[in-house]
Amino acid sequence: MNRAVRRISIAVLIMFVLLLANVNYLQAFEANSLSDKPGNSRAFAAQYQYQRGEITTSDGVVIAKSKAVGGIYKYQRVYPYAEEYAPVTGYDALYGASGIEKTENSVLAGNSSQLAVRNVIDMITNKPRKGATVQLTINSKAQNAAWGALKSLGKSGAVVALDPSTGKVLALASYPSFDPNQLAVLDGTQLNKNDQALLKDPNQPLLNRATSATYPPGSTFKIVTSSALFSQGQASPSTLVDAPTSLTLPQSSTKLINNNGEACGTLGNGKATIDTAFTESCNTAFANIGMQLGSAALKSQAEKYGFNDPNLTIPLPVVASRFPLEPALSFAAMSAIGQKDDTVTPLQEAMLSATIADSGKLMHPYMVQQVQAADLSIVDSASPTVLNVPVSTSVAGQVKTMMLHVVSQPDGTANAINNAIPGVQIAGKTGTAQNGVNNSGLNDAVFTCFASNGNRSMAVGVIIQGGGYGAAAAAPIAVSVLKAYLENG
Amino acid sequence: MSSVATSDDSTLGGVPEPQVAMPRGRRRTEILMLVFSVLLVAFAYVNVGLGFKGTVPPGVVEYIVGFMVLLAIGHVAVRWLAPYADPLLLPLAATLNGLGIVMIYRLQESGRNGNPGQVISTLTSSAATLQVLYSAVGFACFIGVLFFVRETRTLQRYTYIFGLVGIILLALPAVPGLPNTEVLGAKIQISVGGFSLQPEEFAKLALAISFAGYLVAKRDVLALAGRRVLGIDLPRARDLGPVLIVWAVSLLVLVFESDIGTSALFMGLFVATLYIATQRTSWLLIGFLLFVVGAFAASRLFAHVGERFTIWLHPFSGNEPFGNAYQLVQGLYGMASGGILGKGLGAGQPYLTPLVQSDFITTAFGEELGLTGLMAILLLYGLIVQRGLATSLAVKDPFAKILAGGLAFMLALQVFVIVGGVTRLIPLTGITTPFLAQGGSSLIGSWMMIGLLMRLSDTARRPPPQPIQDEGMTQVVNLS
Repeated sequence: MNRAVRRISIAVLIMFVLLLANVNYLQAFEANSLSDKPGNSRAFAAQYQYQRGEITTSDGVVIAKSKAVGGIYKYQRVYPYAEEYAPVTGYDALYGASGIEKTENSVLAGNSSQLAVRNVIDMITNKPRKGATVQLTINSKAQNAAWGALKSLGKSGAVVALDPSTGKVLALASYPSFDPNQLAVLDGTQLNKNDQALLKDPNQPLLNRATSATYPPGSTFKIVTSSALFSQGQASPSTLVDAPTSLTLPQSSTKLINNNGEACGTLGNGKATIDTAFTESCNTAFANIGMQLGSAALKSQAEKYGFNDPNLTIPLPVVASRFPLEPALSFAAMSAIGQKDDTVTPLQEAMLSATIADSGKLMHPYMVQQVQAADLSIVDSASPTVLNVPVSTSVAGQVKTMMLHVVSQPDGTANAINNAIPGVQIAGKTGTAQNGVNNSGLNDAVFTCFASNGNRSMAVGVIIQGGGYGAAAAAPIAVSVLKAYLENG
Repeated sequence: MSSVATSDDSTLGGVPEPQVAMPRGRRRTEILMLVFSVLLVAFAYVNVGLGFKGTVPPGVVEYIVGFMVLLAIGHVAVRWLAPYADPLLLPLAATLNGLGIVMIYRLQESGRNGNPGQVISTLTSSAATLQVLYSAVGFACFIGVLFFVRETRTLQRYTYIFGLVGIILLALPAVPGLPNTEVLGAKIQISVGGFSLQPEEFAKLALAISFAGYLVAKRDVLALAGRRVLGIDLPRARDLGPVLIVWAVSLLVLVFESDIGTSALFMGLFVATLYIATQRTSWLLIGFLLFVVGAFAASRLFAHVGERFTIWLHPFSGNEPFGNAYQLVQGLYGMASGGILGKGLGAGQPYLTPLVQSDFITTAFGEELGLTGLMAILLLYGLIVQRGLATSLAVKDPFAKILAGGLAFMLALQVFVIVGGVTRLIPLTGITTPFLAQGGSSLIGSWMMIGLLMRLSDTARRPPPQPIQDEGMTQVVNLS
């Protein structure tokens, strides 16, 4: 009978080995993936047991911090500027996160592998663990100006400002916004109530319009069209092109007209220089150029500027600005003037100007300047990288000249903001995009521009939904952001 | 049986041999180990308070002194009643019991008296005290077993009575009209005077004794070769009778009480004892196949059983983590958050797992003591099982051999089924975690099992009666 008992012992041994192997697998190997499962409230609660790192602007303004509270969760997240920085910081709630809070979670929470050694030292020296501080590239003055301008206008829209030479995001505001403090509450029921209210709000306050919403670019797309044309080397701003008062598109009954059906330029012969057509934003001229270039060339140029790229992160994820291939000539004509199926994010608008401002180089936009551990040592520091070179220096110079004329020429569409900032020349392009079914919606106002005061420069993209003319609604907002940054920032 | 050589053979010539070294009782080892057990449990208890508030918890002296008194009484009883019993069984069981009390205290205090965490509504503020009380009753029953069962063979006399008692106990919760309570879809409890009782905890001991007695009587018949098919000796059809009866009973338990864990336990117990008795591999295969067929059929026929399979296979899919699989998933999250070294007693969030004090108590240990602590606990179980199996190997009496092997295997299977269930190794079934989980029946039953194992090991290790050489012509021949 002992033989049977011995065999049973082996079976028992196998059973225990299986149990031991399984708990090893669970607790040593699968532990991380289990911690990352959505709805794992333990993993979340663990983050509230020690102080999460702060989020600050480049000029040291704290925009997210953790304050000690009693209860199960030792710390609660506080956002001193509430709605102003909500599209930037996002929120860190019990059951989820967004924005920088989400993308930089591992360093803010202090469980990044970059912080592992420091954590071990803290554990040995019995110091409470504290997350790393994330310093952003955002300039508080510019951000404040952007948010203030959007808020006082009271229309849905967004502003993004970039440093053209580095790609630093200097301002990123979206309106309407939300108060992340409402989602930082530690009471699950209250959180759910606040969350539901925000989700059901028809104004979509949770939507980050700067990076996650797209709008028709309207005439600002003429920057891309001009870039494509000049890059072929056949034309320059002074080249004369057909710019009729109205243009019937091929294979269609659509009659394309310039703004208010006006003629383009003052030559009176149905022709205008490209510079004039750009400055006055003549649709017929650029529709002709679009048909001449074809959709493929436009698409190729647009993609160099960053269109059709769903993978851009700054590190906030950015939805792709779209330029689909439109083989029909009439569609190429429409898309060349930023209508039809073209869509852009406000960030993309800023990237257009930033490229021209930086002599044709498009820097990779980024928001996180550096990560500083609790012991004040720098864990990570960003360095600018080139995303693409959409146009040559000379083409960028040609487009820049035209963009300067948009503001400086008396018949330029943005002449109203000429000399808005004393001693600073602004280069820009307006856009007034029709939208809605059969263009029944209010026009979206679009403006992209850049300016420099010698030491610092800034590119701004503004889109105001239903704002009407780009020059009227969007340009003044861009000016106030430029002013805040170039004069005081 | 022949493996244990006795010194008697060499004394046949009548020449006085030098005194053979007597197997020592090793009760001093037991004391040492018990002291270690008390220290470990005391440390764990203090640790809970430190984890909660950084202070030594109230009542530390009372708890520890109470625990020490229990162990001291147990030890004295063993010295008196079973002096040759295995020295590790008592300390091992006591350690598990003590850690269980500490964990229940920790869970009961969660969110109460200003401690961090949430209050576990299913746990009253006197749960730990009650568990200490159950432990005392368990110790009393342990001593009672040692006291009343002086010779294992006395049990053999009541083979059929134990069998009947076992089946009645097993069937009690399913009897309509009796005040039974349903726990998570399984009917396993009856209420007696305000206390809920799980008769199966005692039924399994009665049945283990009954199986061992029956098989000792019938093992020759059962071992008789039938036909040989595909290299496996198949038993004769009529010898399948008892197997089929047990299978039927275990299936009935499944059907009427929806308790797949218990039915697996009984099937496992019976097959293991049958195998020890007959050494016929065919019985293992037949038993295993019958159980798999039964379980599969049950999973198809009963939603409650089938659901367990779904939860096991896909706990994270769809809404399962927030629905049926909530408890399992929370347990896994708890263990994951514990990681390798654990959060420390009082510092985790085991209260997030529903009913963590019963079936899922191992996940609470996994969370707070980590992989390290959980493995240590599994090894404590493993050692008890190993001591039981070693007793089975050492003991000469076939009844004792089968009983020891059966009890040890049943404990192993129980730990495997419940710990495997909560760690998602196998589908989860609701059987109790021996010694650790909250509740009296299981604790008392487990202590009675330890009593039986110690009685068996005492029998195995007891030195043979000394030949009375002075009488000259008389020779004592050990008959066993």
